[in-house]
Amino acid sequence: MLSSLPEQFRAHGLKADVRTLLLFRKAMQKGLIKTLGDVYNVLKGMIVKSPEDIGPFTKAYYQYFLHLPIAPGQTLEDAILRSETFAKWKTQFLDEADRDFTDEDLVNAFLDQVHLTSYDIKEVVSGKEIWDKDNPDLEDEVNAKNDQEPAERLLEKMADYSDLTLEELLERMEKVRQQQKTKHGGGSHWIGTGGISPYGHGGAAKNGIRVGGQGGGKMARKVMGDKNYFPIDREALLNDNNVDAALASLKGVIEESATEKLDVPQTIKAGLKRGGLFLPELSSEKNEELKVIVLIDNGGYSMAPYIKSVQNLFRKMKTRFAHDLEVYYFHNTIYDHVFIDERRSKSMAIKKLLMHNKDYRVFFIGDAAMAPYELTSSSIKSIQSIALKFKKCVWLNPEPLRYWPHTYTIQVMKQLVPMFPLTPAGIERAVRAMNTKSTQG
Amino acid sequence: MAETSHWTGSEKYLCDPALAQAFHMARILGMPLLIEGEPGTGKTDLPIHYAKDRGLDLEVYPVGSKSNVEQFVARFDHVKYLRDSQIEILNAQREERGLATKLSTGNRNPESLADYVVKGPAAIAFSKPNSVLLIDEIDKAPREFPNDLLYALSHRKFIMPESGEVIETTEEQMPAIVITSNREQELPTAFKGRCIYHYIDFPDKEVMAKIVEKHHPKLDEQVVKVALDVFYHLRRLGLERAPTTREILNWLKYMADTAPKEAVKKIEGLEGIGALIKTQTDIERVNRMIGANNATFRSPN
Repeated sequence: MLSSLPEQFRAHGLKADVRTLLLFRKAMQKGLIKTLGDVYNVLKGMIVKSPEDIGPFTKAYYQYFLHLPIAPGQTLEDAILRSETFAKWKTQFLDEADRDFTDEDLVNAFLDQVHLTSYDIKEVVSGKEIWDKDNPDLEDEVNAKNDQEPAERLLEKMADYSDLTLEELLERMEKVRQQQKTKHGGGSHWIGTGGISPYGHGGAAKNGIRVGGQGGGKMARKVMGDKNYFPIDREALLNDNNVDAALASLKGVIEESATEKLDVPQTIKAGLKRGGLFLPELSSEKNEELKVIVLIDNGGYSMAPYIKSVQNLFRKMKTRFAHDLEVYYFHNTIYDHVFIDERRSKSMAIKKLLMHNKDYRVFFIGDAAMAPYELTSSSIKSIQSIALKFKKCVWLNPEPLRYWPHTYTIQVMKQLVPMFPLTPAGIERAVRAMNTKSTQG
Repeated sequence: MAETSHWTGSEKYLCDPALAQAFHMARILGMPLLIEGEPGTGKTDLPIHYAKDRGLDLEVYPVGSKSNVEQFVARFDHVKYLRDSQIEILNAQREERGLATKLSTGNRNPESLADYVVKGPAAIAFSKPNSVLLIDEIDKAPREFPNDLLYALSHRKFIMPESGEVIETTEEQMPAIVITSNREQELPTAFKGRCIYHYIDFPDKEVMAKIVEKHHPKLDEQVVKVALDVFYHLRRLGLERAPTTREILNWLKYMADTAPKEAVKKIEGLEGIGALIKTQTDIERVNRMIGANNATFRSPN
């Protein structure tokens, strides 16, 4: 059931797999899922693993469960207004409503129903009690959200599914989800004025359910419009705006380990003092190693736009982590020298560079675009020798990925040094590649 | 039966509904809750107040750069073991020299290895049903630490060193585990996969006013309003280190003793701003902004 869910969510760059389904099933078994809002909440806890995931997740959810696709750059509100799902819901909603609504009100009501969770349903009580037992906090929130809406909103029906088995529920959910997609899905789609249920309408209806709007819909809307959540383009080339995201990716290169070691001299010393009673003396050792060599191609026009961002990135890295960081420059490719200063006037022999400890991590930064005649055997040899000596060695290329196959020299360099795009996501992959190498030996 | 009722905060702790739901879900599914968010959003306070409010036992493991699994689960006390195992010889030697007093092993028996296992917070929490276990700031740990926890988290089981004793708990009696992180380093995917994840948003003005009220209930409304205006304005400046909940609470604590009118004046004059702004560059920046335009710090309404 819902077997296409992992695949569809993965298409949005999220991590979902068969375990997600199993866990979701378990959550249903435990009675965590009663409304469509619950589906959103539960899946969010399982699938979202960092704040950047919330935007794509919300998008995937709307697409999968409500068949409500959101185009890039489109606001949630716009997407809803244009969707068929909403149109169907609206017809039914307005049928039962006693007055006219503006589009905004309708979207609000729609979102409220979609994100209605079982936590919002305070209790199943009779209508009279609701009026008597009023919770002032909740009323305030509802009022603040929309003055035209009545402070108390009542859902007429809340289906109670406790009699149904898990299999039945799952089957039903899948069926209803399918129907949602087709135009003539019949009457039993899961969006209706009786709240939105993942199972369609069924089971015993109970009357008088109190809704204390928490504004889950408000949250969803905020997510879709919020730069912090949505479109931070992790595939965008490094610039001053995403330098911090890149920095966060770079952090992974720090290897830290803490081990407790037997301090032999101290054990002997203390043992002798005790007259031969040797007790192990432990000393803890903390290693934090980060040695980095950065080789930047700063020649030619092709690299000019990126130099500043790259320097900015590594300068930030240096102040933040205060470790060993050395920067050298080259032009297009490396022959037998690299340069110590930006103007490439002071040079250093490649031999000297190779004398560094092999634990150094080496970042090449350059577009690897050069005239084929520059790619001589001596330059290939130099780069090869660097890659051979420093096992943790990557090339970050600012050139857009799609041009790579068309540049001959990039193809050659890629063979010598693992190459990644100079984007936050690319840097993250590069760092990961470096770290796996370090564990292999 | 595990404590799985829905907890929505206590008198002292305002729990964001979304967080409360995630926490509830984690407890029902018997999974740890991983909370991330800016500093000062109340990540650590959640399990503390929950345990206090419900009267449950709380075990805390503050993670540091030297943390390892032995500290967290259990370690074998070699020193005590060695000492106790030599005690008979020592006592014989003492007797020879005519010393009356004898050394004791403090009821520990070198024959039983379990006596020398020093249990860490994890082992203690797992052996007590329905306790609460807080793993604070896991991002400060060495990289391998979260990976070392994987087995224990998915199998709910620890094996004690040397003695081989197994501490196991069922899904129903699993302690409520809360893990906090400031995202200083990315946690392994496999680890995150075993947790229910929640990211705490920075509270907006309305919520913050409620939080302030929980901590300083006697504070004048006007004072809080003015202070929050300044506070959110500072956050919008894009400072290196934006002030957090903790800092505004401290600042208001400092204001609490002054009469409301005077306090408003003090806040508008940015007295004690050092409680909010913590780096030299930020102080310079704020000064420059005020120097440029005094109205910057007035409330817009």
